[in-house]
Order: sequence, then C-alpha cells, then structure tokens
Amino acid sequence: MTDERAEVFSRYVAALLDGQRPSPDDIADDEALTARLAAEMAAAGLPEVTSPDPAFIEQLRLRMRDADQGIAAVSSLPIPGIGRVRLSRRDLLRGGVGAAIGLAAGGAAVALLRDPTIREAFVDPGRALAPKGEWMAVARLADLPAGAVLRFSTAAFEGFLVNDEGEIRALSSVCTHMGCTLAYRPERNDLRCPCHGASFDLYGHLANGSDQWSRAGGYDGDVQAYPIQLPPLVRPQVKVVGDSVLVLTPRA
Amino acid sequence: MAEPEPRFEQIYDAHVVPIFRFVYARVGNRPDAEDITAQVFMRAVEQLDVKRPPAQIAAWLYRVAQNAVADYWRSFYRLPQVELELVAPGWEPSNPLADPHAEADADGAKAAVARLLKRLPSRYARVLELRFLQRLSVAETADQLGITRGNAKVLQYRALRKAAILVQTDD
Repeated sequence: MTDERAEVFSRYVAALLDGQRPSPDDIADDEALTARLAAEMAAAGLPEVTSPDPAFIEQLRLRMRDADQGIAAVSSLPIPGIGRVRLSRRDLLRGGVGAAIGLAAGGAAVALLRDPTIREAFVDPGRALAPKGEWMAVARLADLPAGAVLRFSTAAFEGFLVNDEGEIRALSSVCTHMGCTLAYRPERNDLRCPCHGASFDLYGHLANGSDQWSRAGGYDGDVQAYPIQLPPLVRPQVKVVGDSVLVLTPRA
Repeated sequence: MAEPEPRFEQIYDAHVVPIFRFVYARVGNRPDAEDITAQVFMRAVEQLDVKRPPAQIAAWLYRVAQNAVADYWRSFYRLPQVELELVAPGWEPSNPLADPHAEADADGAKAAVARLLKRLPSRYARVLELRFLQRLSVAETADQLGITRGNAKVLQYRALRKAAILVQTDD
C-alpha cells in the first residue's frame, strides 16, 4: 500500500519540481497536508525567489484595465424608460468578478444584468419590463440548422446561438467565474472555459459541478468536479424574423 | 472609453511581484500561482478602495491572497480546515510593507526547511535534501543513496509524511 501511494505521490512531487501544475487527483484526503508541505518545500528549495513571467504581468494588467474601463463606460449608460443608470462600481460588480471582465469581453449587457429587474427582463422572455434594448440581427436562419452552435457578436454582446431541435437560444460566451471566453466543444456539446475548466450546458448551466458529479457520477472527460458553483450564463431573448435571427442586446 | 484610475495601476505595479511570490511560496507551482494572483487583483478591481492608505492596501491584498491560497487547498485538495502556514511563515499584519516582506518570506521559508530537515531521521532528511534542495531526479537520488528507484520513492513519501506530522504538531 505504501509502495503504491509512494509511486502516485512521486508523480505529484515530480510535477512540482518540474514546475508544472500538479494534479490534485493524485492526492488522497489524508495526504493533503503532506502535499501542501511538498508544495511549500518545492518553492522554498529553489535557489532564487521565483518571479512572475513578464507576459503574465502584462496580460493581467490588460484584463484589469479592461474591467475598470468597462465599469466606467457602463456607469453612465442611459437606459430609456428606466432613466439614467447611476450605479457605483461596487453595485455593478456585486455578484462576481466575472461581470467585471465580462464588461470588457461581452460589453455592456453583462453589467446591466446586475440589476435584478433588468436581469429578469433579459433572461426571461416575455417579461413586461423588457428594457429598450436593441434587436440585432446576428445570423441567418439558414446558417443555423438543427444541432448547430454559432458564435455571434454585436458591439455590446458576445455569445452563442444554439439551435436545439428547432428551439433557438442565445447564450453569453463569458464565463461567470472570471470572465474568460468560452469555447464550444462539439464532441461534448458543451461550452468550455479555457481558464479553469468550467463546462456549461447549452442552457447555460454549469455542467461539471459537484451536483452533476453526485447525480451522474462524474463528467465525461473530467477527472474531478468543478470546485465551486457558478451562476448560469446570461441568456438574452431571441426571435426569428424572416430568415434572420435577432438577439435583444443593450445598445452599445 | 474613460481612462483607468491611475492609482489602481500604481497599486498593481507596486504589489504584483510580491503578491505572486507570496502565493508561489504557498502553492509551489507557477500556473496555480498565476491563477491565484489574477484572482487577487481582479478582486481588487472589484472591491479595493484605492483611497485607503498604502499600508492598509498592502494588508488588504495579503489578506485576500492568503484567503485565496486557503481556498485553493480546501477546494482542490479537500484540506478540511484552514491550516495556516507549514513551511512558509505566516503573514504578519503588523508588517504589511510589501517588498521587504517578500524577501523575508523567502528567507524564512528556507530557514524553516533547514530546521525541519534537522529534526528528521537522517535518511529522511537526506532524501528530501537531494530532491527538494539539490533538485536531483528520483533516479539520481536513488543512485546517491545506493537504493532502487522504487525505494527512493517510498523513502521520499515516508519522509514527507513524517515532516508533515512534525510541522503539524509544532504548535
């Protein structure tokens, strides 16, 4: 038994010492503290203090700048019928860091959706309180046959169109964890976040969280459940007019 | 587009390197250290009041970083309680100056490892020294110790288990 654990743990240590991200799946529950000690020793044993990669520093700077600018831009956005939105940076962002980056990646829509009434109107088709957004034609129906998933973008929104057996839905492509842009994986039929591996189903719900794990016994292709629950993806209203698919987004 | 608040970027420039080092010392690998550092600063965009005095800003960043590291160990490794530091010394709120802190942190961790090795049986100390300080491979370590690779892995495992128990029962 020790031999087997020693072998597995050796892989974990080797990853650390090679400077790679080790896999938590190699670690048994009663080994967590040992793993942590190994991680700290791996860092302390280096001849020099480790510095961040300059490219990482610049990328993170841009992400933060985008988030900050997006906030400033949306704080003064007029919404007809509701009046000028006067929200503080904190109000806009309450509910998740994702929104901050979403502002940059997905435009104003994500920020507006922080407001519960606007959010309801947007996410739930048919609400009376629909904001005076803009219906934007984003695709031709002919390009969206049953089973297809298409990327679309407007000035204020980026997302996916899904034709689910004739039912057409739109979903934001901004991960609700930290705002990374999701990618469609045809082989799994999900929207996958490249940053931390969250998967969303085509209704916008987290598909590889711990509830899925206990219900279905796992998620195909993943070795562990996504460790935290995430809010669902934003789903703007969709309608088809003639051969055009239109999505309701806020004005840019 | 409005200009970003310049003060925020000044804060970022002053703290991103020491915060990264602080996190790295506690997760031991670059990809995870980058993810956690990004979380800390994206949260700062959201929540940090840039008008606070600099010492409070540093304190805030280290506190968020420390919590993010604890979350990392809890979420991914199911570490049941928030154990503070094992090797790396705990962050002292009374000493929130970022850059001196990062150096002291690294030196402190090195010294803690040295102290820890002294308390281990000599073969345990030796295998950890060869692997973690001299950065030898398992094969090289086995050669140095005159044992098989399989035995070197077992020895490494037992040494780490023992060391974890020692640091745990310290206080």
